[in-house]
Amino acid sequence: MNIFSRLCLAVFLLVCVASHLQAQQTVSGKVTQIEDGEPLPGVSVSLKGTTTGVITNAAGVYMLDGVPEKAVLVFSFIGKETQEIAVGTRTAINVQLSPTSTELTEVVVTGYTSQQRKDIIGSYAVVSDKQIRETPVVSLDQALQGRAAGVAITQSSGTPGGGIAVRIRGSTSIGASNAPLFIVDGVQVETGGLSQRDFGGQQDNALSLINPNDIESMTIIKDAAAKAVYGARGSNGVVIITTKRGRSGKTVFTADAQRGIADLTRRPTMLNATELLTLQREATVNAKQDADQTGLIPGVTDAVNTNWVDEVLRRGIFQQYNVSASGGSDRTKFYMAGSYLDEEGVQINNRISRLQGTVNLDHRASDKFSLGTNLIVAYTKNERIKGDNFLDGVYSGALKSLPFYAPYSEQGKLLGPNNPGYAGFPNFNPVAQALLPRFEAYTVKILAGLYGEYQFLPDLKLRSKVSMDYNNVTEDQYESSRTAIGGFLPSVGGRGYGVNSTSILSTFINSNILTYTKTIGKHAATALAGVEVLQRTERSSSVTGRLFPSDDFTYINSAGIVDQGGSYLNRSGLFSAFTDVKYSYNDKYLFSASARYDGSSRFGPGRRFGFFPSAGASWRISAEPFMERFTFLDDLRLKASYGVTGNERFGDFQFLSTWASVPYNGTSGTAPSGVGNPNLQWEATSEANVGVETTLWNGRLTFVAEVYRNITNKLLFPELVPLTTGFGSIQGNAGQVSNRGIELSLTTVNIDRAVKWTSSLNVSRNINRVEQLSSKEPQFRGYTTSTGRTHIVQEGSPVGTYWGLDFRGVDPATGDAIYEDVNGDGQINSDDGTVIGNAQPDWFGGITNEVSWRGFTLNAVVQFSYGNQLINFANTALLNSGESLADNQVRAALKRWQKEGDITSVPRYVSGNTYNSLFSSRFVEDGSFVRLKNLTLGYTIKPEWISRFKVSNARIYLTGTNLLTLTRYSGSDPEVNSLDGSTTAQGLDFFTLPQTRKITVGLTIGL
Amino acid sequence: MKRTYGILLFSLLLSCKPVLEPKPIDILSDDIALNDAEDVPTAEIGLYGAFRGMAAPTVIAGDLTADMAVNNGTFTQYIELGTKQIRASNANVESLWGNVYNTVYSSNIILERLPAISGVPARQKTRTLAVARFLRGYAYFIAAHTFGDVPFVTSTNLAANRNIAKSAKATVLDSVLADYQSALINIVDSSVDGYANKSVVRAAMARFHLYQKNWAQAEQFATQVIDSKKYRLESQFRGVVEKDFSDESIFEMGYSISDDPGTSSTSLNNIFVGRREAIPSNQLLAQLLSTEAGERRATLTFNSAQQQGDDNGLSVAKYGTADADNNNITLFRLAEMYLIRAEARVQQAKLTDAAEDINVLRRRAKAPTVNATNQADMLLVIERERLYELAFEGHRWYDLVRTGRAKAVMSAFSPNWKDAYERWPVPQTEIQRNPALAGAQNPGY
Repeated sequence: MNIFSRLCLAVFLLVCVASHLQAQQTVSGKVTQIEDGEPLPGVSVSLKGTTTGVITNAAGVYMLDGVPEKAVLVFSFIGKETQEIAVGTRTAINVQLSPTSTELTEVVVTGYTSQQRKDIIGSYAVVSDKQIRETPVVSLDQALQGRAAGVAITQSSGTPGGGIAVRIRGSTSIGASNAPLFIVDGVQVETGGLSQRDFGGQQDNALSLINPNDIESMTIIKDAAAKAVYGARGSNGVVIITTKRGRSGKTVFTADAQRGIADLTRRPTMLNATELLTLQREATVNAKQDADQTGLIPGVTDAVNTNWVDEVLRRGIFQQYNVSASGGSDRTKFYMAGSYLDEEGVQINNRISRLQGTVNLDHRASDKFSLGTNLIVAYTKNERIKGDNFLDGVYSGALKSLPFYAPYSEQGKLLGPNNPGYAGFPNFNPVAQALLPRFEAYTVKILAGLYGEYQFLPDLKLRSKVSMDYNNVTEDQYESSRTAIGGFLPSVGGRGYGVNSTSILSTFINSNILTYTKTIGKHAATALAGVEVLQRTERSSSVTGRLFPSDDFTYINSAGIVDQGGSYLNRSGLFSAFTDVKYSYNDKYLFSASARYDGSSRFGPGRRFGFFPSAGASWRISAEPFMERFTFLDDLRLKASYGVTGNERFGDFQFLSTWASVPYNGTSGTAPSGVGNPNLQWEATSEANVGVETTLWNGRLTFVAEVYRNITNKLLFPELVPLTTGFGSIQGNAGQVSNRGIELSLTTVNIDRAVKWTSSLNVSRNINRVEQLSSKEPQFRGYTTSTGRTHIVQEGSPVGTYWGLDFRGVDPATGDAIYEDVNGDGQINSDDGTVIGNAQPDWFGGITNEVSWRGFTLNAVVQFSYGNQLINFANTALLNSGESLADNQVRAALKRWQKEGDITSVPRYVSGNTYNSLFSSRFVEDGSFVRLKNLTLGYTIKPEWISRFKVSNARIYLTGTNLLTLTRYSGSDPEVNSLDGSTTAQGLDFFTLPQTRKITVGLTIGL
Repeated sequence: MKRTYGILLFSLLLSCKPVLEPKPIDILSDDIALNDAEDVPTAEIGLYGAFRGMAAPTVIAGDLTADMAVNNGTFTQYIELGTKQIRASNANVESLWGNVYNTVYSSNIILERLPAISGVPARQKTRTLAVARFLRGYAYFIAAHTFGDVPFVTSTNLAANRNIAKSAKATVLDSVLADYQSALINIVDSSVDGYANKSVVRAAMARFHLYQKNWAQAEQFATQVIDSKKYRLESQFRGVVEKDFSDESIFEMGYSISDDPGTSSTSLNNIFVGRREAIPSNQLLAQLLSTEAGERRATLTFNSAQQQGDDNGLSVAKYGTADADNNNITLFRLAEMYLIRAEARVQQAKLTDAAEDINVLRRRAKAPTVNATNQADMLLVIERERLYELAFEGHRWYDLVRTGRAKAVMSAFSPNWKDAYERWPVPQTEIQRNPALAGAQNPGY
């Protein structure tokens, strides 16, 4: 025992002695809720200033021994106003708790700690389980759409379990990840795609393995004061997710079932056979060729008229079932849940199903020591479909395929390569491409944690936690000899093509946090200090086989040639120490400071460690005496913060100049593979945030306004360099991006009688700007075009700026496209590129309205985005002015120029002409939209009707998502991102499956 | 309790090192990749691996820029080449340029570092340095004849190479000759398939002098290769089409089944047989069906099921069949040496000897032999003979340009042809990324 322990013991003894000197008594009573007098189980009853306390039982009754006369009892329960009652000589104290009139006392998880909302200095958005519970979503990030100011969430496509881009306060990075850090029960979980295989721009979504129904709350951390404690990983914001935990008292059972249907928000319509034939003949004649000779014969060519889009789509079915039980004693509490989800995609043969179970336990072993676990095990089977930018993609194939061909022969057999009547390259039968291949991904996720918490002193505790996020993906794929890859492209498949791959992504994290809380008079302080170590391991292997004896043998055991395979291992790690101090005086002046010292394996020796400090202050003006006359004012606070965070999420070993194995003629050698940058360092974002928060008229109106300015320096991005250097890019670590913006949120209780109507509105504007690049030359990203690429990163423009020719219309005399001759050299060529749009919205946000009356509730979430543009890149093929006659065309092609004098924006069709279809502003469209994201009508059945079935509550509801969309965008859906997850090349629509409209009914029963 | 935590904290600190300093798995750090004798042979193989990337884009340049093929797919890069609407953004242009400079970098790093590495036997050093110079020379030879003036990169200095202006074509070609000459002295005369030796260098010098119109030297080097007797013509032309490392192959880029380029957009098997992005032109078909061409019509295959619309059903056969793909790319073979010598001899008015060289190939192809007539006719005979023999081996466009016949032949082939197409453009990305190339695009693009 050292001095510290002796001291502890001494203090402890003193406390004991002191308490024994006072008169002691036993106090008991019953806690009920004020609205209906119902008993409240699980209410915490504690002696103020101590850790002594009990919890009310199922009947709302408590009993507390050894209560001194001078003691004050604190009754607290989530969602209720905390009451403090002086004991005096009473031995029976009954208490009625009233619901919190405002959200001010709501407890918010703020990183490594929790705080009451009124004490928060940083900038947070909280989404509770109530808000997301009835939304039929596969992954939890979907549920955040339109809910929080400053958080822009875009689903990349309508594929179930597909990728989603979450951006908090804009994009801070060009090359490193822009995705926020997702922390579930203390562990940094995988985000983005888990699959090894490219499915044409679209990834799967690791977050779809966590059941949104198990989530208690999600806190989105936006400003530096709040997130600097996450240091080198904090730049993009942090989403902290806590799963549900048990409460002591009667065991509560809940069962929930949802079932519904899904279809595309808007099915695209293409030209029919006759319209297309007319167009193709015109294009052929315009190219001075004989249409009859090229086989475009009316009555013959268009004898078949297939609507390929309808052939590959269907009405999907969504179903989800959850059961949970929670409860426990005052020492042991549990939450257990199981769920099954199954979603049939709108594309034929596309399906995702998930089985998931959760067990969370908390146990108080002694007054001082408690421990607990959290465990989520999920298993997903994802039957995938190739999409987007794939020659043999299903949806892309359906849009492009000529209506002149049919999917099935007259005998009802799927047409494949080598069948007469099969379209053949570059059109593959999209129906066969959907039905024949097997693309199954089996994912197992285990998210587990074990914590122990030791209370050294009433004010001092240590919490240690070991957690793991383990993801195992097995991909089982086979493309038969009747598919494009397995049969038509002999250089790949020959006769059948099979791939089997497995990958394991695991993160291990250990954190040890010492927390000290002390209140002396008007001074209240909380301090924490912690160390954390994190290690991430990626391990993968794959094997490829081809030349199968027949399509009945689909596993690589039967392959004639097993000629490709590989295995891979990569590790990265973080080692950190951090501290966070909060202090408040008289509940009026609040200060916070935090710092984190992070070491990351992604940087070279001497550059490994970084320091990330922050500070914040808040002034509760409403608590000042001079404000007392404004009685309508519940709370008014000003707050400001400043801090530095980092971003280290980019590739590993980029600081090294490397050589890699290079195969040659059956052997292998080594060749330089990359130029390193030994001075590589994380991106550092310095952020300033100023805000005002107010609550008026007993919580009838809450208003938050915040402005921020973030500057990110030392940008990590693959800097494109001329190929004369031997490489296309080097790891850049210079330049500056800024984001500044304003966020407003307003929550009002409009009517609060028998009918209750609440509204909340959030609006954000973020201005993103690349302030500086390391070299004068702009960086190009996205798809290749005649002027470089679709996107440009250049000084003075925001990330996601479009680059191309400036289309000025169609010459009425010739029917050809007119482009702006930017450099004035008299010709239109690769040097005439200019900025032609931007993916960043001017304003975005959401409006939520909820009306309740008796048992009915109606909830509507509207999401909007204003001022952003989209590149309808699919139209470079589907409105191609005749460049290729191999693709069907969109209906806008009917407006093409046909004769002199035609005034139109669609150039004439000339077979083989590439000039009219050059990438230009013709393909850039307004992407603004307003969307009824979610509409739920629910009814809670009167308890007296169901109580005889031993059911304590029952609720039925009807939910529609994406019911209504207002947009000028000509593509199917304005919420789209073909290059899923990309920041620099966002806003592309390239044959991406549009969003779906879903209508579900649900029933929730509680026992 | 406290002690337990102390141990925990201590173990955490211990764990810091493996967490923060993991070892790379499939890459080697620069400072250990090339630092002892054992690393040199693998680095030499790696150099060939880098060099091999140039081969396919060179074939695409040599055949698809000319009249040998038309486009038949969806890749813009092939539509542009097929319809003669070539732009600086063409991905094939960037691919060839990038592979040239990747080869140059890989050669330069060996040329810079190898001399200073201790413990490597002098013989090993000399031989590997000779390989590096030869491959660099060939890369610049292709660059100069494809793009004209190009940046002349002589070091691995990043700062210098990202801001480097063009050098005159002649300067670049001088360095090519210097590299070849140095390599010829020091290169090992091995005969392992796929690796350079003295005959390979001589074959390259024969072609170099042919392009430079140094007829005597072209004849001399071609003769040296022919007379070395290391190579002999395949008895059937079909052998040239179907075999890897045929008997007449002098230098061939080998692909094994495990490092096949698969569906990459420059994989020749994929472009010619798989996706059929480029299919033989009807003009080429007519030429190969002539009696003069003889058995060389085996260069093409025909599948009636594919014949519809603009698709003539023809495919290139030299890069493998559907089932057993073969991406090997021949850079030099004996037949070309005969053709170089024939042309050099015609230019030196040795018409009879020239006719004999041509007839060696005619007899092999079971085609009628030629008689020496006049110089002009003989040059046209050689032009046709090169087309029959070397179709899809990356020669046609370079031949038409160096003989001044491009305008006449290509204008007849495509109304879109313009003189600017006698050179490829500098890749658009290079103009955009290299400040010294701003405004230095080749004229007409």
